[in-house]
Parts: sequence; structure tokens; C-alpha cells
Amino acid sequence: MSDPIIEVRDLSFRYPGAVRDTLRNVDLTIERGDFVAIVGGNGSGKTTLCKTFNGLVPHYWSGEFAGSVRVAGEDTWGSSVARLSWIVGYVYQDFQNQLVRPTVRDEVAFGPVNFGFDDHVERTDEALDAVGLTHLADRFVWQLSGGQAHRVALASVLAMRPEVIVVDEPVAELDPAAAHEIYEQLTMLNRERGITVITIEHHAEFIAEYAQSVVLMSDGAPVWHLPVDQALERAGELAEHGIPAPQIVAAMRAAGVDGVARSVDAAADRIRAARAVIPAAPLAQTEPRSERAVVVEARRVSHGFRSVSGEVQPVIDDLSLVLREGERVAIIGGNGAGKTTLMRLLAGIHVPRAGEVFLDGSNTRASRAGRLAEKAAYLYQQPERMFLKESVRADAELFPRSRKDPETTAVVDRILERVRLTEFADRDGRTLSGGQQRRATLAIGLAMRPSLLLLDEPTASLDVASRDDVIDMLAELDGAISCAVIATHDMHLVAEWATRVVALEEGRIVADTVPRALFADDSLLARARLVPPQVVQLGRALGIEPVPLTVNEFATALSRTEVPA
Amino acid sequence: MSVARKQRDVVSVEWIKLELIRTAYSTRGGLFAAMDPRAVLGWYVMLALAPWFTHNLTTISCLFAIGVASVAVARVGPLVLGLFVIGLGFELVYLVLAATVFGGDLSTFVALTEVTMKLGVVSLASLAAFVSLDPEKLSDALLALRCPPAIAFAVSYGYRMMPILVEEFSTVMEGYRLRQAPPEKSGFLGWRYLVHWATLAVRAFYPIFLNTAKSVRTTVEALEARGFTFATIDGRGRRIRIAGLRYSWLDVVVVLSSAALIAVGFAAGAEWPLYRA
Repeated sequence: MSDPIIEVRDLSFRYPGAVRDTLRNVDLTIERGDFVAIVGGNGSGKTTLCKTFNGLVPHYWSGEFAGSVRVAGEDTWGSSVARLSWIVGYVYQDFQNQLVRPTVRDEVAFGPVNFGFDDHVERTDEALDAVGLTHLADRFVWQLSGGQAHRVALASVLAMRPEVIVVDEPVAELDPAAAHEIYEQLTMLNRERGITVITIEHHAEFIAEYAQSVVLMSDGAPVWHLPVDQALERAGELAEHGIPAPQIVAAMRAAGVDGVARSVDAAADRIRAARAVIPAAPLAQTEPRSERAVVVEARRVSHGFRSVSGEVQPVIDDLSLVLREGERVAIIGGNGAGKTTLMRLLAGIHVPRAGEVFLDGSNTRASRAGRLAEKAAYLYQQPERMFLKESVRADAELFPRSRKDPETTAVVDRILERVRLTEFADRDGRTLSGGQQRRATLAIGLAMRPSLLLLDEPTASLDVASRDDVIDMLAELDGAISCAVIATHDMHLVAEWATRVVALEEGRIVADTVPRALFADDSLLARARLVPPQVVQLGRALGIEPVPLTVNEFATALSRTEVPA
Repeated sequence: MSVARKQRDVVSVEWIKLELIRTAYSTRGGLFAAMDPRAVLGWYVMLALAPWFTHNLTTISCLFAIGVASVAVARVGPLVLGLFVIGLGFELVYLVLAATVFGGDLSTFVALTEVTMKLGVVSLASLAAFVSLDPEKLSDALLALRCPPAIAFAVSYGYRMMPILVEEFSTVMEGYRLRQAPPEKSGFLGWRYLVHWATLAVRAFYPIFLNTAKSVRTTVEALEARGFTFATIDGRGRRIRIAGLRYSWLDVVVVLSSAALIAVGFAAGAEWPLYRA
């Protein structure tokens, strides 16, 4: 039955100029038709390993290479990147940079045309069809949403009719609904065409739901390669390597049930089988909306941007919103719902085409954006966009120092301490890891000492451990700022942090509520393309009232329903 | 200082970005956009070389008129056209100044004008031709004309980079605008603001290049994996690319009638010669 597509033997590799090996004595066999998830902490060599499959290592990155890699029977050392890319397709984490041609069709046809395949037209159509992009074939690539762009990158790889596809962290840059779609797509390609799929993945939920086997990498070598069920049972080991168990597994532990479940329904069945769960009486929920001071107010605001063809595309449509002191607001909604635009209007970076925004009581039209930045700080989705200087410290100091604040050094020291970046203060922000970069932007925002802090997708493209870290840090900010607003797809963040949820759809507010009510409203969830955290789904499947938002709440709810022996 | 801010649609960074994209990808259409790119290149060479074969001001004026007409039928956008007109205007002002300061008279001015006019014809022809060629057409034409594939690709990829660079620039400038305090007083004619913006524009280069360089690494690897280097050695890719190019009647008509117009220009010059003194 053994039919290996990739065989790695005694492989070690060191990047030119590096002091130690990135890959150390790797032995790994991947069977044809498998769906493999490669997991491991940052710097464990996952990406480098995957680059040996299509020959980028050692042909493009020519470091010290020892051992052998055979792909479909061919030794990569004696082959070339071009030859190997007929067998192995690679979709990058920053897939936007992988797109080199202006239109979708050109992009997909690029590979087949370069290799001079006479059937390049059929290959292109076939690949576009396989990912459901035929209707977008003539679009420019920069007009696409993130999910669409990822599918273009996938199609451009499929057009080579590869036997193996490597996808580097698809969840990082996509919203959860789009990430699920990509995984469904990969599963279909895996089942119907027998393509071997290899993904690098941090999120245990996706691994549990889609992968067939798991490779755990640590310090440049695989620790083990196991079928997914056995892999998930080693939850402790995974957690040590930065892959916390899926919430359902943690919830089962809390309920005193052993074993693993791969889906919410399975987990609910096993918990029901093991113990009685009696829906508790709803907690009396008193959430008084005290009339605290208004921080920012939008009055009948409309805004839009001009497109290449010249007409104004409406983004925000006659929207009114009041945010008060002490609130933690999550703005949710699908891509293109207007979340970012709304935040930039609230921060006074743009002024609306119609309506008014009052920040701290004064109209944003009346002051320059630079002055308004003293009241409201907006942090970009991509942290690199905020690094202007050569070190994290210089970046954080830019705002107070240029305003001649005598306490600049002391303030920035305190803030860096707070976001735990003191030891990285003199590094260039671009060289930090994802989680550190996010904390650095938080430091930049805090150094502006705003009353309103707006964060765009602060947990996007973070592994689970760094994400929890950022959520904890946000929770500690309450004293430092009067109101925090977050635009996000991350329902964990909403469940664990927010006190108020504003759902946007086509530039209008469709719901303004608390997280618990949001997760109880099926029609709203479906409309906003949201997937609630697993523990919320599990709580609802078990009929627990009120819906638990975190594993802790789930455990508490269960202990209340404990049947006295 | 009180300012009433409004959303601006013209002369903003966003507008410049859109204009550049419209220009680069010739979304406005126009006569030359419908032609075969090789014919457009041929037409361009013809009009751009013509003024250098004469000193006759009548002929050069006729050629200039042809250039203006081509820009009109090519539907050149306001941004590049505006830059061209401003450039030409400054050139004329400079010529008048130079002529007066260095003790010349009208004849010096006319002498210098001749070169300006010739350069103007070349610029107009370039505007008309390159605004009408989107990067794909241009690089296919270069391939067809036996240009090295690396250059042909550089043309097309350069265009692809342009929106990225403009976007990057506007983000970095926005960051500085929000985080770097503006000058307290504007000073005479707002010179403090001018200095402020000029400093920022220079400082912006450091982050722009670092950020772009980082993302280009992925691009280069992806190019390698998708056979870009392979195609520079193997000729089959080139054959497929240029197979789509076809000359049509439109090409013949446009090139021949332009040639005829240029000939008329030279004939007019012979009939009513006008040389600088």
C-alpha cells in the first residue's frame, strides 16, 4: 500500500550565512493522496522543509545541503525548480506577492505559457473552473478580495496540473469563512483528483476538520508524523509547540470526558453520552447601559471611494453611531462591509462625503488629521505599514517627541515594558515575529496617548499563542484609554474581549448588541458570514443557557448542572 | 488656523493612483489601443524621428499639430497631459529668462524654441503611444521584435509594481502625517509646510524600500517556480505569447495616413520655408 510521493532522508540544511542548521536530519515520508498538516512553533523549519519539496532549497537558496529529497521518484538535487514545479505547486502565506500578472487569466496562464504547453488555454480554463473563478477571469488582480486572490494563487498552481500542492498558512490572511472555503476546495482536489495536499497550519480546528495526518516539527526536525486522531490525542505536546487544543477538546476535558472529537457534533454526542447536561435556568442578565460620556459620534455619515472607472462606490451608507467611555466595541462584518472605512472616519483620517463625525465633541472637519491623531489612534491591519523608523523605540517615540513632550523617554519606556518589548526596543520592527510586530504597533498607538484606540484586525495572521497574548494585552488596556474599537473576523476575540458588537453590512449597521446575543442569533451569524467559536457552538448544541463564551464559562455552566450523586 | 476638510476626488494621492492605473492599463480606450502593438511602436518611431530631419519651423509646427491630434484620439488622461503642459510651460518661461539674462534677443529665443518643439513632438508621440499600450501588449510587442525576454518581462512587471509603490507611498506619508507633528507656524508663503512635506517625502523612502524589498522575495521565488527563467531559455513560451498578435486593416490605415500627414508637413515646409535667423 505504500506509495510515497515525497521521501526525505537524512536531510540537513543551513541557509548561507546562518550560524546553525535550519533543518536537522529530517526523515519523512509522505504518501500519495495524503492531506498533511505540518505544525510547529515559529522558527521550527516548517516553511524551509516545504521549500525543499519544489527545489527552491537547494537550487534557489543555495546553502549547505546534505541528505536527499525524492519527489515522485525524482531526486531534487539533480533536478531544477522549473522541472519540480510541474509536480509540486506552492501557495505562499503572502500570496498577494505571488501574483505577477495584471489580470486573473494572465496570472493563471503564466506558468503553462512559460513552459510552452500547447494546451495552455485548456489548462487555464480548467484551473479557473476548479476554484470557481471563471466569472472573474478578466478582473485585475488588485481588484480582488483576499479570498479571491488566494484562489487565483491556487488556480495558477493548479494550471501546472501538479501532484502535490503546498499551502503555507492559508488562515493567516483570510477571514474564517474564506479560510473554510479554501480548505473545502483543497479537500475536493484531494478527494477527486488524488492531489497530495500539504498545509502549514497553526489552528487545531482546521487540522481536526480537514487533515488526515499531522507532522509536528520542532527545532528543524519532525518529532512525529501521525494520523490526525492520534496526533490530536497528544494535546499536551501540541500545546507545548504553540498549537493549543481545539476548544472542543478543551471543553471535553473540562466536562471530564476523555478522548478527542473532530467536530462540534461529535463532541456534543460524547459529552451527552458521558454525563447529564441539564439546561440551567438563564442567569439574570443585567447589563445597564449607563449614560457615560460620549467619546465619538457619527451622525448620518455616508462615504465612498472612486473606482478606476470613475464612479463613486458607496462604502458607508447613512450610518449613525455613538461610542461611550469604557466600551470595548467589536465591529464585525464580511470583507467589504465598510469596517475599515468606518474606523478611519471615526479617527478623522478621512472626512465623510455626507454627515458629520464628532470626536471628543468637536467636528472632524474642523481640524487636521495630524491634530486629531492626538485624540484617536488608528492601527493598521498590516503592522509593517506602521514601521517608519529604524527601531521600535524610535517608532513609538516619533509622535510624542515631535510634539516636544518632555517625558517622551519615560513614557515610551513604560509602554514598551507594558507590551513586553523592552528587550526588542532597538530592533527594526520589520524583523520581529508576527506577535511582536502586533505588540509594537500597540506600543506606537499607546504612545500617542489617545482617548479612542481603533485597531484593524489585531489578531489576523497570528498563531494561536500570540493571538491569546494580544487578547490578554487588550484586556489590560482599559485604564489607559477611554474607548477601544476593533474591526475583526476573529470570533474568539469578540467572545473573550468585547462588551459591545456592531455588525455592519453594506455600510449599514444591521445589529448593535452584546456578544452573547450575537452568538444566539442564527440569521445574523449567517448574514455576516460568521462562524462562532467552537465552545459557543458546543454550548448551544448542549442547550446551555446562557451560551458560554469561553471554555471557563463552559466549565462553570457544567458545574452548575452537575447532578448530585 | 481653521480648515474645513472635505473629501477630495481630484489632486489627491488616491486620484494620482487611479490616474496612473488608468493610464498604464489604457482603460480609456482610444484609437491606438485598438491597434496591433507592433504597429503602434512602428508609428511611434516614425513620428518621434521625423522632427530630427529638419530645421524648418513650418514642418516642425505641422508635426507638432499631428502630435496634438494623436494625443486627442488616444484619449490621454488629465494627469499626464497636465504634467506635459506644465513641463512645456516651464520650459518656455525658462527660455525667455535665459535669453534675457544672457543678453540674447528674440532670435536666441526662437533658436531654443526649435529644440523645445522637437522634444515636444517626441513627448506627444510617446504620450499617445504608451498610454494606449497596456503593459501586456507592450511586452508582447517587444518579445515579437526579438527583445530579450527579461526586458519584456521587466516592462510588464514594472507596471504591476507601480500601484503597489504608490499605495506604499501613500500609506507611509499618511503615517508621517498622523504621527509627525506639523510645524507650529506656516511661515512666509507657508515655507515651513513646504520644508516639512519635502523632508517627509525624502524620509518616506526608507520604509517604502524596505517594505517593498521584503515582499519582492516571494515574488522572485514564485517567478522561478512558474518557469520564468525556463521561458527565457526555451522558445515555446515566446511563440505562444506572440501568436495572438495580428496586423489588421486599421494598423495599415493609421500608419499610412500618418506617414502621408508627415509627408504633407515636409511638403508644406518646402513650400513656405521658415528658418531661424
